[in-house]
Amino acid sequence: MKYFIFRNQTIEPFWDNNQVSFSGYDDISLIPDDVESYIWFYQVPPGEDDVVAEEVKTFLDKLRLVLDKILASKQFIIFSLCSLSNVNIVGSRNTLMIAINEFNQAVLDLANNRGNVRFIDFSKFVNQYPHRELVNWKFYFISQTLLNPKLAKDFQYWWKQKEKELALKRKKCLVLDLDNTLWGGILGEDGVAGIKIGGDYPGKAFSYWQRSLLELKRTGVMLAICSKNNEADVIEAWENNPFMILRKDDFVAWRINWHDKASNIQELAAELNIGLDSMVFIDNNPTERELIRQLLPVVETPDFPDKPHQLMSFLEELVNSYFRVYSVTSEDLKKTEQYKANAQRVAAQARFTDFNEYLKSLDINLEIQALDEFNLQRVAQMTQKTNQFNLTTHRYTENDIQQMSNEGALIYAISVSDRFGDNGITGEIILRPLEKDTMLIDTLLLSCRILGKRIEFAFLDTIINLVANKGIKRLKASYHKTAKNSQVADFYDKAGFRITHRDDDSKDYELIIDKQRDKKDIYTITIK
Amino acid sequence: MKERILQIMREVLDDNSIDTSSNQQNCENWDSLHQLSLISELEDEFDVDIEPEEIAEMTSFEKVKDILSTKL
Repeated sequence: MKYFIFRNQTIEPFWDNNQVSFSGYDDISLIPDDVESYIWFYQVPPGEDDVVAEEVKTFLDKLRLVLDKILASKQFIIFSLCSLSNVNIVGSRNTLMIAINEFNQAVLDLANNRGNVRFIDFSKFVNQYPHRELVNWKFYFISQTLLNPKLAKDFQYWWKQKEKELALKRKKCLVLDLDNTLWGGILGEDGVAGIKIGGDYPGKAFSYWQRSLLELKRTGVMLAICSKNNEADVIEAWENNPFMILRKDDFVAWRINWHDKASNIQELAAELNIGLDSMVFIDNNPTERELIRQLLPVVETPDFPDKPHQLMSFLEELVNSYFRVYSVTSEDLKKTEQYKANAQRVAAQARFTDFNEYLKSLDINLEIQALDEFNLQRVAQMTQKTNQFNLTTHRYTENDIQQMSNEGALIYAISVSDRFGDNGITGEIILRPLEKDTMLIDTLLLSCRILGKRIEFAFLDTIINLVANKGIKRLKASYHKTAKNSQVADFYDKAGFRITHRDDDSKDYELIIDKQRDKKDIYTITIK
Repeated sequence: MKERILQIMREVLDDNSIDTSSNQQNCENWDSLHQLSLISELEDEFDVDIEPEEIAEMTSFEKVKDILSTKL
């Protein structure tokens, strides 16, 4: 699998499902290692500003817990958070906006400090659309898809571009021509004062361009010159043209002569001790570019814009194509060792240092309800709809459920809430009587929305204690394999049941109830 | 219209064997997530709005066609 995506909303329609697998909703308990890269793609859920802001603050704690558990050599791509649905009402306290900004700032810090972490500015995608197109409430209400699924194709295209950028190796050196490339006009003809740099357009465009190249230099890109000119003229221009921004000291090396540019570039590579494949050549003359493409194909030679006002968009392309710091280099890998140590410190400062503490902070309430007229419909409906956390995948109607109950089955639903909201009834168990003191777990299922908080074990343990009090000494259970439920293949093993029979598509289990199971102090459990 | 629906279903559900007898039971890929993409595509293709109650009903090719034809 290429990507494993941590998410808190339904985002499947936006991804190529042959390439990705997904965490449960807001579920960080399972971190597979057989993937190439991880993606963190959380969205800001709709709701009251203050409440959502509190929830957003927990995202960072969770993200750090996850980062601590993965190998520092694996790429970890983090999407920035943007508010898709929340209305910023005039006069409100902006708590949510502040929380979102804090998250994004922290992620940028992580990306700057850890070689394997990449920051994806999701607002770049979102800002292409008017606000009302971002969320389609119908799809949110029926399937918890916040980002409008109509944007799925656009998103896939956008992500493909991002992937290309992520895969690029950063180039080291930008080799620049001078006349009509760094300034307008020809130095040999127009003279030091006549070339176009500074002042009004087009000189202004060349000034901005040079200033941006200077900024690029500050990020570690080497600038070099390869130009057909008289070296003395150029040095005079650097020294005496008051509008010149890039000057002699800004260039690591130059070849200003009348030799062919291919030889000059090879010399520059040798002098700087870098490979030709880490150079990008910028020249306004198509003949020169063609020469380099023919003779030195590993040198990147992008087309140059026709008009000076296009230089700024050209610069953006250059940066995106060649100078983003994305790929993990060997130096990054060395650095990641230090990051690991750092990470542990950061984690210690975070509000939770381990998963249990985090779970406790959620104030999770589990309410176990016996079957009644109010939950009957939901109980039947869940057997129809639940595919993933479903041990046997028996589908039942309301009549089936009622009849089982009449025949002595014990049927319980579980309702889950935490300090961020109430998920309602999200799981159930059906136990049918076999012999006097034995019951069969006919159905056990939970909605994927609540997974990742070990609620499944707390639920089962509570039920075991409950039936034990009713005199049950032995439970039987089974797992029936389907296309969708492999995640629960070992659930009963983990829950301490013993296998009595197995074949390719199913496993049967037994549990002798000899003692009450410990209650975890993580949850508040009530039985109705 | 029949062909347009079939074509979208084949594309979205990634299954060329889809025909007029297809439904959520006999088509393995047709789960709730694909349903979402399918509805989104059908809405765009036929320029209609499909209500949540109708989405829940659209569990076979025939029902998809019936509900869409009430809107055109």
